[in-house]
Amino acid sequence: MLIELDAVSKIYNQGRANEVNALTDVSLTIAPNSMVCLMGASGSGKSTLLGILGCVFPPTSGRAAIAGKQLSRLPDRFLTIHRRQTIGFIFQQFNLLPSLSVLENITLPLLPLGVAPKARKQRAGALMTQLGIGHREKFPAGQISGGEMQRVAIARALINDPPIILADEPTAHLDSRLSLEFMEIMAGLKAAGKTVVIASHDSLVTGHRAIEQLITIKDGRIHVP
Amino acid sequence: MIQQLLEKHLNILDYALSSLWRRRLKNGGVMLVFAAVIFLLASFQMLTSTLTKAAGDVLAQAPEITIQQMRAGRQESMPLAYREKLAGIFGIRKIVPRIWGYYFDESTLANYTVMALDPTTMPRGRDLRTALAEGELPGQETNGEVAIGAALLAIMNQGERKAFSLFRPDLTLKPLTIIGVFRPDTDLLTGDLMLMNMNDARDLFALPADRVTDLCVYVTNPAEIDTIAKKIAARLPDTRVLTRPQILKTYQVVFNWRSGFASICLLAALAAFIILAWDKASGLSPEERREIGILKILGWETADILAIRFWESLLLSALAYLLGCTAAYLHVAFFEAGLFRPIMIGWSVLRPALRLVPAISAGDLLLIFCFSVLPYLAATVIPAWRCATVPPDAAIR
Ligand SMILES: Nc1ncnc2c1ncn2[C@@H]1O[C@H](COP(=O)(O)OP(=O)(O)OP(=O)(O)O)[C@@H](O)[C@H]1O
Ligand SMILES: [Mg+2]
Repeated sequence: MLIELDAVSKIYNQGRANEVNALTDVSLTIAPNSMVCLMGASGSGKSTLLGILGCVFPPTSGRAAIAGKQLSRLPDRFLTIHRRQTIGFIFQQFNLLPSLSVLENITLPLLPLGVAPKARKQRAGALMTQLGIGHREKFPAGQISGGEMQRVAIARALINDPPIILADEPTAHLDSRLSLEFMEIMAGLKAAGKTVVIASHDSLVTGHRAIEQLITIKDGRIHVP
Repeated sequence: MIQQLLEKHLNILDYALSSLWRRRLKNGGVMLVFAAVIFLLASFQMLTSTLTKAAGDVLAQAPEITIQQMRAGRQESMPLAYREKLAGIFGIRKIVPRIWGYYFDESTLANYTVMALDPTTMPRGRDLRTALAEGELPGQETNGEVAIGAALLAIMNQGERKAFSLFRPDLTLKPLTIIGVFRPDTDLLTGDLMLMNMNDARDLFALPADRVTDLCVYVTNPAEIDTIAKKIAARLPDTRVLTRPQILKTYQVVFNWRSGFASICLLAALAAFIILAWDKASGLSPEERREIGILKILGWETADILAIRFWESLLLSALAYLLGCTAAYLHVAFFEAGLFRPIMIGWSVLRPALRLVPAISAGDLLLIFCFSVLPYLAATVIPAWRCATVPPDAAIR
């Protein structure tokens, strides 16, 4: 399996007054080249789960194996290296750096890999054309439309060609037409062999035909209806 | 592999540069404040070094013992014959009569120091010759020849003319000719100096042929200075006998006062600097935190993020350092440390038209570097390190 969680829990601020049990006893598996939707109300723990799937932080307890690596055994530095080899992130807020240009934003993950400017531009150029934002290359990322921002975020997630794409509420800031377009792009990635995991409570996403597996979370636990 | 590592660091450096440029207004402001602090520090350090060196030169040239005639508590001219009264004091190597006085020039409103002695009778008289930038020392048998300080030459505004005149006390004119100019780097000693032979000085000041203003005594063994001075005082009860160690003490009083002042300056500069650093350290702005979180989540290692910060801070502070030090050099060299001038008025070592040739050592520069660039680096890199080592989950929400 590409992703295997076994009895995973995540507690924020453990042992302090503001302790939060964000995930409790979560077990799940995700096969390579599948398309999964994480569903759940606000505060149910979707982002936290994506954080573990995306190798941002290890679980407080339980086993999490992502692309063959045990997260809790990895020191921070190797977690980072594993993350950049394995994961492409798309965020609800896009998380672009507004004063950098579109091109600079897309190529950010390539800088610490030692990719030369020319090669960076080449790789980003192909993605930008594919996503229809080629004409925005030199624009500051803070000065383009929401739909374009999201495409920039998608291009940035793909620039390193990772096997797993994670998206956290990707359609929250999009209208329905753009939301559907986004799902089509994701379906295309899946068709190209990637594994896509989307956290959302948007029915356009949860009900999309390309979704193969629906995982519902409620109060930090997997909910089986 | 190495190629890739190199490329990675180039990328990071490039990112740091463009990040500095993007926030150029803020960074420019910080840089200027920082440069101003370094400027103060460096000016002071250079001034201290320069004056210490110059004072050292003064003392090196000074005779071990100077004898002056006192009357009613004031210095007066003394009979040249006093020299003979000292004959037979063991340990005296040489006695050089000297005429030393001031001449106030109404036309330039400047005070000249007129000095006359016979360099050939001094133990290290030849050294005087090397202090000249051009020309010759006035001859002992000639008439009206002077060597003057570079600052004085500028004040007199002679242009190409070599000849000028000064008033004798009876308001008749004494014609003089400039035949030599002292090197600018000896300005502390020679800045307002006019050197002539004894006959000309006597003529100018209307001093009788048998009188001088002081006698300079050179001794064979410096350890005996005090003993010899006592013997001289015993033989010439109506004179004041000044020894080099005494003069040194006067200098030290000035220096102590000055180092006290230096610490005040240093404290002020440090205070300004700490405010600056604290502003940086007391928190990365939310945007900076967000940027670090985003980079981290995109696969930048903590070390990479620190490297950006490091380069940013290093470039900024190195630029401020260069700017501050250069400005300080110009300040001391060409503006005569004008900012500190009001504080230094009344300091007898400094003369009105002093031109300083800054003496800077690598040690000084290093000291300033350690007091400025290093703490700034620490103050900017450490908070970034603290922020970059926690999981970037803020960025995924
Ligand atoms: N860094 C954190 N520190 C403390 N508590 C946190 C942190 N991140 C999340 N939480 C808490 O953990 C719980 C789950 O949060 P999470 O963000 O995973 O939910 P979510 O399903 O993504 O919600 P939303 O739909 O609002 O994004 C919430 O109660 C939240 O307040
Ligand atoms: Mg969330």
